[in-house]
Amino acid sequence: MSTNSIKIFSGNAHPDLAYLIARRLGLDLGKVVVSKYSNQETSVTIGESVRDEDVFLVQSGCGEINDNLMELLIMINACKTASARRITAVMPCFPYARQDKKDNSQGRAAARLSTMRVSLWVRVGHDHVVAVQLGLAPHPGVFNIPVDNLYAEPSVLKYIRDHVPNWATDSVIVSPDAGGAKRATSIADRLGIDFAIIHKERKKANEVSRMVLVGDVKGKAAILVDDMADTCGTLCLAAKTLVDHGASAVYAIVTHGILSGKALQAINDSPLTQVVVTNTIPHDEKKVKCPKLATIDISATLAEAIRRTHNGESVSYLFTHAPE
Amino acid sequence: MVWLFAAASAPPPLACSSRHDPTPTTDAFATPNGCFHALDALTTTPTPTTMRDLVVLGGSSHPELTRAICERLAISPGHVKLTKFSNRETNVEVIESVRGMDVYIVQSGCGSVNDNLMELLIMISACKIASARKITAVLPLFPYSRQPDGPYKRNGMPLNRLSDEACQKLADMQGMPFPHVTSQPASRSPSPTKMLEHPERYNSVYDGEAKVGAPTPVSGVARLQKIQADHQIVRSPRSTSPVSAYGGSVNGGQGKAGAQYKLWTAKPGTLIADMLVAAGAHHIITMDMHHPQFQGFFDIPVDNLNSYPLMYKYIVEKIPDWKNAVIVSPDAGGAKRATAIADALNMNFALIHKDRRHATSTLTLVGNVKDRVVIMIDDIADTCHTLARAAHVLTRNGAAKVYALVTHGIMSGDAIDRLVRSPIDTLIVSNTVPQVEHVKAAATACGRADKIKVFDVAPILAEAVRRIHNGESVSFLFDIVPIVN
Repeated sequence: MSTNSIKIFSGNAHPDLAYLIARRLGLDLGKVVVSKYSNQETSVTIGESVRDEDVFLVQSGCGEINDNLMELLIMINACKTASARRITAVMPCFPYARQDKKDNSQGRAAARLSTMRVSLWVRVGHDHVVAVQLGLAPHPGVFNIPVDNLYAEPSVLKYIRDHVPNWATDSVIVSPDAGGAKRATSIADRLGIDFAIIHKERKKANEVSRMVLVGDVKGKAAILVDDMADTCGTLCLAAKTLVDHGASAVYAIVTHGILSGKALQAINDSPLTQVVVTNTIPHDEKKVKCPKLATIDISATLAEAIRRTHNGESVSYLFTHAPE
Repeated sequence: MVWLFAAASAPPPLACSSRHDPTPTTDAFATPNGCFHALDALTTTPTPTTMRDLVVLGGSSHPELTRAICERLAISPGHVKLTKFSNRETNVEVIESVRGMDVYIVQSGCGSVNDNLMELLIMISACKIASARKITAVLPLFPYSRQPDGPYKRNGMPLNRLSDEACQKLADMQGMPFPHVTSQPASRSPSPTKMLEHPERYNSVYDGEAKVGAPTPVSGVARLQKIQADHQIVRSPRSTSPVSAYGGSVNGGQGKAGAQYKLWTAKPGTLIADMLVAAGAHHIITMDMHHPQFQGFFDIPVDNLNSYPLMYKYIVEKIPDWKNAVIVSPDAGGAKRATAIADALNMNFALIHKDRRHATSTLTLVGNVKDRVVIMIDDIADTCHTLARAAHVLTRNGAAKVYALVTHGIMSGDAIDRLVRSPIDTLIVSNTVPQVEHVKAAATACGRADKIKVFDVAPILAEAVRRIHNGESVSFLFDIVPIVN
């Protein structure tokens, strides 16, 4: 095993996660300075040789997404011109994947553009770029290069087993919308517990109107499972609905906690007991404002994926097991 | 003085009415009095004509320019909704149908460049999916057109003001203190030649024979490293450091990393070209590209328009006693541009040159400007460092008045303050970058509303769009042969 030929570079999106991944692998982060010129153009200066190395670029699609995306693209291009052997983009949260969900009636071009958009940047990096991200992804067929879409599910199962009291007998997995039913049933089956679903009528984007609960949560702890929590309108309305139907406590476990706008305020005011997010997106300052936030650390999963990719081992172990 | 055009005959301009109203966005030009026939046509408002199959969409970087171009073409800008989601993702909705149309998307690489670039790419992609016949990206200021060799210039002048952590990180990466702008004046940073001639003053390892009281012997390893350092191609003083505090101790056996490694800054030229082509653009129109050879990075046609005709017009119309003025290039790189203008107008020419023969490089004037009006010509004014320092040199050498005529006035950071403090009388920029805020800021900083003047490039861009759409020659806009009386 030649660990010293893995090079991990981080952009400015989530350097803490990159540091955790590197530490997990027993490496130091690669020397790179990513900053902006005074006219707002991005500048990338690489401080070590990447010739014939296996380069992993850790950049999450969060915060100022366009800036972070440009940083990543310029780093990929730089490594390519510096003769790296293979370049892998590790993107815990993949940007512009959500626009796929928009309905086609309005702005017909916009509905599919995110898919094309995504394939375009991948083409720029040529076929040495592998995107690794958790939970939410556009269809792998969009890319003409290998994509490893890791799942946060094993980590979620681990969290439920470790932190939800009496999870085996007194809890129900709830999906806050019909689209996430598959995700929720998968978790419920693995844990061997019941399952419920909330069906919502949505009039406008980011605005939810009415929620209908299908299933029974009376006297049990309801665990909402979702892939993304942005403004948290869905989550808070779902929590209220569950409490109205007799749930004893409401947990929310979300893969990507974007938590923008009034999300923290909404969470604090809602009947949610705890909101658990992974650290694909930095949220340390948010935890100060919202004591209900908890973290699942997925740096172990990502580090394992990097190690296995580098060594040519199977990554599918990670689809069902969370590294300790 | 009459302008004649090398093209067979000036094709009839847009159906011109007899009105000679200047375009609303321009306040720099007085109404021409008939001397400049074809250029006149560029500044008059035409009667409305229909343009079939043509849609002009504007990005959010410069909506005023889009409006000006559309007004010249007598169409209204295409309907597109540009917003951002709450998680900062860009959202583009093209409201009207572009099926089978020629789409021109106007987006300048100014403001928050990455956001505008993403927006442009998404708009191109959206039009491609919506079955547009041909998509042209109009980028008056091309983003990432300057490709610097390093995060700092050789004289230590920073291209940007890096944060302290970034400076510290760069210093760690190369093992030598970085000439941070606040700690060490740029003119005092030693040139690479000097450092190699007297390495004992700059590298502690060489303390040996030369210095008294520094008993460190020059070991065999250090001697080897000195030889290696001497033979390195030195681009910056920093890369001559043979030994650093970093050593090679971090990362175990990584001998390749460490201070010996020459830092390099990524040059995203091919990346931007590939992205535009991959998004689906068929044609690029830009203006006064910093490196004209950039066009070679593209597989699609690129029209690099010149703003020179408008510069000539400005000089001839607006600068009193221009025939006795001197055209000056503020650096050696812009000499070609400045001489082209000087030759076209039959004016004298001078150049500011950075003399590196001596220990500290000094700016020297090559040419004579004593008691003359000076017009500095440059393509980009970003931090205004170059212009300000050149202006000081010119006034020291006796220039009567200094104008600066620049195509792209980015004016980032404290550029306006630097401009106001410099001996530049007036800065004339084009509106490839929105200038309304800059003019206001300069006016409040120095009390003169005409410290920054703007010349309008919308006529040239609109004419290019029209000719490309109609399949006519665009060379009209390049081949201008003046006949001077």
